[in-house]
Amino acid sequence: MQLDRYQLKAEESLTVFEFTSNGPKGQIPKLIKFSETNLKDLYNLAFGDKDLTTGDLNDLAISNNGDSEKVLATVVSTVYAFSDKYPNSFIYATGSTKARTRLYRMGITKYLNEITRDFDLYGLRSDEWEIFEKGIEYEAFLAKRKNSNFIL
Amino acid sequence: MNIEELNKRKTPVVVIDDSLEKYKDLPLFQEKVDKANEMLRTVGLPKANKKKTRRA
Repeated sequence: MQLDRYQLKAEESLTVFEFTSNGPKGQIPKLIKFSETNLKDLYNLAFGDKDLTTGDLNDLAISNNGDSEKVLATVVSTVYAFSDKYPNSFIYATGSTKARTRLYRMGITKYLNEITRDFDLYGLRSDEWEIFEKGIEYEAFLAKRKNSNFIL
Repeated sequence: MNIEELNKRKTPVVVIDDSLEKYKDLPLFQEKVDKANEMLRTVGLPKANKKKTRRA
């Protein structure tokens, strides 16, 4: 999976990332944050559009900037960067809407073989985590980097 | 390692930008974090990976 992706900026701890989507609707800054949760070593991954005038973030915005695959590839690359720095962390993610969760599931499914080479991947269904499988609708996703030392 | 090789890495090249520090301690996407906490309270981790909770 070597998809085109955007140049990333981050602060020192690699928990906040920023990149700029570039397409027919113009330049749209996006922010990604890995937030601590109540469970040790488990981080919530969320991202959204940054409003340049107010600085507010919107994870419900539909940018339609024609680059959704590049945006998702960029978000996935932050998961690699984050899990390089925090290799024992779990990363939890779900969409802001059911449609968006389904979109993420489709993206994961498309590159499942590649993803599962580097991560243990789970899907949440009926209040249980199960190993992610193609064709099953999940409410959320959980990933943990496999214990390989260095991945190119 | 040249630029082409760097760009082929799964782990991206990240430019450190100190202006992003301000977001580190802000409760961004807090609604999603709250929902995640609520779900994790009942569901927890996958069975083989249960750990103690950090906060109540």
